[in-house]
Amino acid sequence: MDDIREQFLAELNKAASAKEIDEVRVRYLGRKGVITLLAKNTDFSKLTPEQKRDFGRRLNELKALAESEIGRALEAAKAREAAAPAAVLANLDRTLPGTGHSLGCIHPIALVQMELEDIFQGMGFMVLTGPEVEKEYYNFDALNIPPDHPARDMQDTYWLTNGMLLRTHTSAIQVRAMERFGAPLRAIFPGRCFRYEAIDASHENTFYQLEGLMVDEGISVANLIAVMKALLSEIFHREVTVRLRPGFFPFVEPGFELDAQCLLCGGKGCSTCKGSGWIELIPCGLVHPRVLEFGRIDTSKYSGFAFGLGLTRLAMMKFGIPDIRLMNSGDIRFYEQFPAAV
Amino acid sequence: MKISLDWISDFVDLSGIAPATIAERLTLCTAEVEGFEVLRRCVEGVVIGEVTAVEPLGGNLRLATVDCGSRSYSTVCGAPNLRVGMKAAFAPAGALLAGGTRIEVTEVGGRRSEGVLCSAMELGMSRWHEVLLECPPSLAKGTPLASLIPGEDVIIEIDNKSLTHRPDLWGHYGIARELAAIFGRDLRPLPVADLSPYDHLPAFPLTVEDFENCPCYGCLELSVPPGLPSPLVMQRRLHALGQRTFNLLVDVTNYVMLELAQPTHAFDGDLVRAIRVAPMGRSGTFTTLDGQERQLLPDDLMIWNQSEPVALAGIMGGLASEVRPNTRRLLLESANFKAARIRRTSVRLDLRTDSAQRFEKSQPPANVKTAVARILRLMQEAGAHPEVTSRFTVAGDLKDIFRPLAMPRSLLHTMAGTEINDAEVTRILTALGFQAEFDAGGMLRLGIPPHRSEKDISIPADVVEEVLRIYGYGRIEPRMPSVAIRPLHVEQPLRREHKARRLMAQGHGFIEVQNYGWFDETWLRQLGFTPEKPLALKNPSAQQNRLLRTTLIPNLLALVPRNRVHRDSFRLFEIGHVYAAADDGSSLEGTRLAGVSFHQLQQPTLEEHFRALRGVIEDLGRVLSCGPLRFEAPPVDPAAVPPTDSDSQAGAAAPYGNVPWQVPQYFVFVTRNHKTVGSLGALSGKILDAVAPDGQVLWFELDLEALEGPIYPQLKYQASPIYPGSWQDFSLVWDLTQGFAALESRLDAFSHPLVMRREFLYVYKGKGLPPGKGSYSFRFWLGTRDHTLTSDEIGEFRDAFLKFLQSHGLPLRA
Repeated sequence: MDDIREQFLAELNKAASAKEIDEVRVRYLGRKGVITLLAKNTDFSKLTPEQKRDFGRRLNELKALAESEIGRALEAAKAREAAAPAAVLANLDRTLPGTGHSLGCIHPIALVQMELEDIFQGMGFMVLTGPEVEKEYYNFDALNIPPDHPARDMQDTYWLTNGMLLRTHTSAIQVRAMERFGAPLRAIFPGRCFRYEAIDASHENTFYQLEGLMVDEGISVANLIAVMKALLSEIFHREVTVRLRPGFFPFVEPGFELDAQCLLCGGKGCSTCKGSGWIELIPCGLVHPRVLEFGRIDTSKYSGFAFGLGLTRLAMMKFGIPDIRLMNSGDIRFYEQFPAAV
Repeated sequence: MKISLDWISDFVDLSGIAPATIAERLTLCTAEVEGFEVLRRCVEGVVIGEVTAVEPLGGNLRLATVDCGSRSYSTVCGAPNLRVGMKAAFAPAGALLAGGTRIEVTEVGGRRSEGVLCSAMELGMSRWHEVLLECPPSLAKGTPLASLIPGEDVIIEIDNKSLTHRPDLWGHYGIARELAAIFGRDLRPLPVADLSPYDHLPAFPLTVEDFENCPCYGCLELSVPPGLPSPLVMQRRLHALGQRTFNLLVDVTNYVMLELAQPTHAFDGDLVRAIRVAPMGRSGTFTTLDGQERQLLPDDLMIWNQSEPVALAGIMGGLASEVRPNTRRLLLESANFKAARIRRTSVRLDLRTDSAQRFEKSQPPANVKTAVARILRLMQEAGAHPEVTSRFTVAGDLKDIFRPLAMPRSLLHTMAGTEINDAEVTRILTALGFQAEFDAGGMLRLGIPPHRSEKDISIPADVVEEVLRIYGYGRIEPRMPSVAIRPLHVEQPLRREHKARRLMAQGHGFIEVQNYGWFDETWLRQLGFTPEKPLALKNPSAQQNRLLRTTLIPNLLALVPRNRVHRDSFRLFEIGHVYAAADDGSSLEGTRLAGVSFHQLQQPTLEEHFRALRGVIEDLGRVLSCGPLRFEAPPVDPAAVPPTDSDSQAGAAAPYGNVPWQVPQYFVFVTRNHKTVGSLGALSGKILDAVAPDGQVLWFELDLEALEGPIYPQLKYQASPIYPGSWQDFSLVWDLTQGFAALESRLDAFSHPLVMRREFLYVYKGKGLPPGKGSYSFRFWLGTRDHTLTSDEIGEFRDAFLKFLQSHGLPLRA
């Protein structure tokens, strides 16, 4: 029995892992284990009562020792294993990079458009669309833009040989929306616009705008300012100081340029705001009554405000894109920087 | 436009207000100020002198004797306008000139030069240095120049774009009126001459034949001494604004234009004896006073001296009738021309004069008379003693009356969203030149002043703007509108776009790009593609960009060669509009989703690549809930192309036949309910060589509008089978050239009550098979709804299927 104990202790000593220790346990204490068999294979009838007692005591001692030693060893092995690198034990390198990615990219302008659609839908605005090949009527006439206005010239507008044009602003959807839904009306119109323009780092002939329109009873300049402030704090995730100054657009009266205090310098003046402390951001105004009339809205009851956001410009500001030409560049290295995390 | 605060100070006292404050308040209340600069003339010790003798020295140089009152100086001078009797600015030794030059006594060509006769540049007035500044003869010798030309002026630059709707702000007086209103200071009236004393004189012969384009024309004939220099105050202001000065006759018309925004023109009164305003009437040429011969069209409006054109109306006078240095008799024109007419001609001729620029803003006709009265007054003040020889003759309506308008007080308050007290409203409007008072019924009764054009002020909203901008938008407390809640309309096509965009980018690793809306015809030729019924631009940015895109594919394919240098493989997609001409001449427009997938290497195989893309489109069909999409290999006969959905605009615009990227044997149509909604294919042959030789290029294009389905799909739960089922796999040998679909349709003929589903596993091509054959593996899912399958039942199915295969000549793979 002493031999068995020595042998057991030696084997247990050699067993390093929990698995090996368990093998030792099975070998000695299992159903066919050495210690178990020792009890089974002993012919007790040949022993004296004293011998029986002695044998039983020693056997129990051995079992108890074996069990406690195994318990101790297991605990120690587990502690060791917890401290040891998992990779070595389970053949798993948890530090290797993931595979099988299938996340692509969404165009930065679309990202901004989707965000703004969410913001406006949260404020109860519909999101509407309109055609890019537009009638002169919706793009100019119905917006109270006089027949001789320079914007209608060939050097400002892309004209089609069939007399239609590529819309120069999403304002073209204003009267379409009024015709479709009447008043009251709250909607935004994101979309692609085109202007005959020489391309450089800050000018594109193809760009995106987002027009907004609200028509209801008693809509005021105070309402317009409040909605614009709410919009800007949603976009920039902080309170934005704004100022309104006169701006002229034939389809609004009064018309404004809404400036936001420069978010980079806080109004002190920097290169982004060209030292003025302000960034011209949103042309807006109360809808000109003639435009409402074109949309067959009862001007004795309803008034409205409208505003225009340059989506392309906003995307450039938000993502720090220095050159507008990147947007239509087709360069995969540019687009890859905008994972589809929306 | 540049504004001189020195000039403004004639009309409103702004003392105590910093230029920066003026600039900021103008921006917030009137028009955007781009910046201001302080003009420092820095001249010391310069006096008025009279040239009493001139002696040639050879070359251009002459020795002049200058009498400055207390003493005379000799000076060597090279200016061409130096002459005996002229008055000029003289800087004796010790004087300080602009740029910090201190004058010293020098010797030039052996002659003593005791000072310098000055040009405008030396006096810090402008950059003109070619001639001596001509000073009026009335100035006393020895008068210090500093008393006539203050050392400092502030020039404010206003963004012209913010003035397009305000013709009155194209002159200093209009800006002065704004500043008076903004700062609550008094506006002095513009000093003008009384024209009524000349009413008894004969009218000047004047006929206007085109009142449409010339609503009002006024003129006055007068005589003044020739070559008289303008007063220095006029000269310093013109110089400060970048104008050159000549003599009183020329300078005064420029001066009044910059002051009142009304352009005028002076004809040589000896040459022009009768005025007729009429269109050119024919194509022809006309030489403007800059010496250029201009090509005119019949519609261009001209000023005629009987049958001879003498001016391009509102733009520029003619060379032949120009005022000359010795002109004594003048015919002064002050007229009102239609903005559109002037703009058309001036843009076409690229002749963007100060005059044209102002007429393009629709000047008020009342200024026709005011400008003449102002010019006459300035001539009188300059001591020119003008002798008027005609009455002020005018044709057309001067409209010099206040136009009435009434609006309720409540409208003003509602539009503002705040209450403004009546006194403040009337103060603001009065300061801007309006007549304004509230009546007992709460109506604001207005007289709109003649200087505000009808285009500018005609409805209550225009008046609201006038009040609020001076009141200050910053004083209006923001207030959120309160409105009734109602469900919002959902623009389904846009939602569909976003669903598709998210699936492509988030589910399948595509990168979204945006291309221009037009084709590049050079590239189309390389691809061998001629679009059908494209819309064309009248004025493309470049000639090869004339045609609007009828499909997204060519522009996407163009990105493959550009990007394959950066990446071994990529997937790009675009969602965008395509356009085509409708048969009735109008336009069709639709939204497409298109993509390209590129692999540099031949792994995965083209077939695997193709199947992956087909999987993307199948997913798209599921996401858009538009029902099952089918993929149909085109029939050999092109006439049998599946029909497009004729109700869909984009369908009609779709070039789904006869396009080079649809390579026979390499593409399929995507159909929905037997209508073609798109196509999918691989490039091969010539077009692959043009796009990416040796690479794999797959493309697809779908008509997003034709994939219409509910945004939130109608789904129906079905209980899973309770009893365990089983499956059986079979591998069939089949002709590769016949393809999978043919095999599948054969198998469709087999039906058995235990088959719950048939699944295609894979196709094996290669060793162990006869040439031209593939092994197609299928799995049959077997089961029943009411009991666990027995092995007998499975065996029975197996027998039935094998019998079916045998009878259809479909061998199992050994």
